[in-house]
Amino acid sequence: MDKQEKYEEDLLRQYIGPGKIENAPEGFTSKIMEHILLETKTLSVPERSWKKNLVPLISVAVTALLIASAFLIPHTHNDSLINPVLNLIRNIKFSMPEFKASSLFRLSLPSVTIYVFIGIVILSVFDRALYGLFHRAK
Amino acid sequence: MDYKGDIYYIEQTLAGNSISFSYLVDRHKNKAYNLAFRICGNHEEAEELAQDSFLKAYRSLKSFKMKSSFATWLYRIVYNTAISHVRIKKKGVLSLEDFPADATDFIGSNTSEEEAEKDYRNALVNFALQKINEDERGLISLYYYEEMTAEEISDVTGLSKSNIKVKLFRARQKMLEIIEKIEKKNLIYHG
Repeated sequence: MDKQEKYEEDLLRQYIGPGKIENAPEGFTSKIMEHILLETKTLSVPERSWKKNLVPLISVAVTALLIASAFLIPHTHNDSLINPVLNLIRNIKFSMPEFKASSLFRLSLPSVTIYVFIGIVILSVFDRALYGLFHRAK
Repeated sequence: MDYKGDIYYIEQTLAGNSISFSYLVDRHKNKAYNLAFRICGNHEEAEELAQDSFLKAYRSLKSFKMKSSFATWLYRIVYNTAISHVRIKKKGVLSLEDFPADATDFIGSNTSEEEAEKDYRNALVNFALQKINEDERGLISLYYYEEMTAEEISDVTGLSKSNIKVKLFRARQKMLEIIEKIEKKNLIYHG
């Protein structure tokens, strides 16, 4: 820094100094925090409800898909790749009490419907319990 | 209250405790506001710009790598926000006649002559700042008000150290020229 530059710098220092800082107005922090808290609320609420419903929605969709495919896939032996799987399922021996859905609801539903329904209810309850457990841990 | 350091409050904010951010705002608000004010030259706009900058900082806190200090990072946001605001909203050129006052005009009922002199000098500097371009305004504020070194200013502005020195030199000359003209004019006008 040459002499002229130093002189000019010192000259300007007479007018400007760190002592003359313009302070932020009253309520500055609270205004910002209001914005931030509002933003946090609006961002987190939809995210939470979206996450909350995702797992039960997927399980219901997959179950519905499986039920639909069980009804829609033809019963002949060579027309589907899923037949070996279906055969395997048919050969599984259930040792569960037998419910007559038709006698319960006076509807002509296949007997497997009641098991599927109970399965969905158990899975949903289990899912809610896990959800509550993990969110409490947070 | 005992201030635990910027990093502590940054970590708390990132962990989901938004209230912790208020400690950071409280600590840095005056300097951030001052920088915005020196660049835009208007209290209302400065408040808006400083608030906007803090909100930007909050939203992008995750991207703060802690390589520089939080203050430097925040000043960078304030500097860029204020500069781009001023560029968009270019004001008409101020004439020297727009600054008719001398120190006696700053003497109020509760102010001493010394206080009035300080206020006059402050107003004079603010006026001169508004006469130079926005980049130079930012550099002058960081150098004189925030007392930053050329290296620190380089972190904030992204300009090279040599470029900062050249720009500061020019800005200083321009400001002194303006201040000198006003003082001369007032001397003639008020005898």
